[in-house]
Amino acid sequence: MAGLLKKTTGLVGLAVSQNPHERLRILYSKILASLQTMPQDAVYRRYTEQLVKERFDHVKTEPDVEKLEKKINGGQIEEVIFQAECELALSRKMANWKPWEPLVEEPPPNQWKWPV
Amino acid sequence: MAASLVRFVRGGLGRSFNITRASCLLQQQIRPQSSTNETRPTVRPRDAVTHKQLAAFGEYVAEMMPKYIQQVQVTCYNELEVMIHPDGVIPVLTFLRDHTNAQFRNMIDLTAVDIPSRQNRFEIVYNLLSLRYNSRIRVKTYTDELTPVDSAVPVHKAANWYEREVWDMYGVFFANHPDLRRILTDYGFEGHPFRKDFPLSGYVEVRYDDEVKRVVAEPVELAQEFRKFDLNTPWEVFPAYREPKETAPKLEAGETAPEKK
Repeated sequence: MAGLLKKTTGLVGLAVSQNPHERLRILYSKILASLQTMPQDAVYRRYTEQLVKERFDHVKTEPDVEKLEKKINGGQIEEVIFQAECELALSRKMANWKPWEPLVEEPPPNQWKWPV
Repeated sequence: MAASLVRFVRGGLGRSFNITRASCLLQQQIRPQSSTNETRPTVRPRDAVTHKQLAAFGEYVAEMMPKYIQQVQVTCYNELEVMIHPDGVIPVLTFLRDHTNAQFRNMIDLTAVDIPSRQNRFEIVYNLLSLRYNSRIRVKTYTDELTPVDSAVPVHKAANWYEREVWDMYGVFFANHPDLRRILTDYGFEGHPFRKDFPLSGYVEVRYDDEVKRVVAEPVELAQEFRKFDLNTPWEVFPAYREPKETAPKLEAGETAPEKK
């Protein structure tokens, strides 16, 4: 449907998506699955889950692409797909980095003091 | 100035951060309308709304990555600064690039600052721009002459030449850089000219020699003896950052002041 109405996104290198709902559904469920591997109290997991679930609900309930774009408020639907791809890649890397752990090392004294 | 500097040392602020606010943290940017009855037209007005937004976003980032972020501050000109541990260069930059609420996809600048009095004398500064939210952020980390920093090239391709420049000018080594070599100085140049201990006149001067028919490099010869000037100003430079004078150590009862000799 979207292909009939929309010829281009107007952005270089970003093609019009033929079935954005399907694509977003796959991506969001993958992100949520990848977040499941993190500990329950990780702040990154909490906030990202909230964010993704909110968008996922919009995708589930809103069949019209233009209204969906307005509801998500993240630009065109192709850009939203791109953001979801980035978030998925990030969440997989985050599982390795474990940034919810305590600080690796305190800064040396007066490191961030300015003026010196 | 000191009053307008909001600092969050990590973990200091409340954990129960409102998430509905977080999802549109950077979104509502309101341009301040200049009021007609300005009293000080030459002074930039304080933009409390932007300041608060940036502070909230800084807190959000610090909460997400407590492992690497040591401190977050918003300066008086509404610039968000994130101070990180050098181990966290790649994770923090990737997070800022890929997270949906950040999307700092453009690297505007990467540079270094040399402060020789510190234990880690070099400060590496990354300036990032988010086109989606029309917002900027500054990430700072530190290193010394010998410790390598992780190269940001896998995250931002723009970092390639900036890191070569920092390597050339300051001698900071970037690990895993694809092509780390001199970029600005002359062929065969020795030393790192932006270091504070590099003399203003340099070490060698070059001239064309008519006899050997080529450019020769010779050690610099100053026309006059090196003189040392007292360049301290008689005025106070940073009155806002005045430090409390060290008070004389308190004497316990029955103790006498050490005699001066």
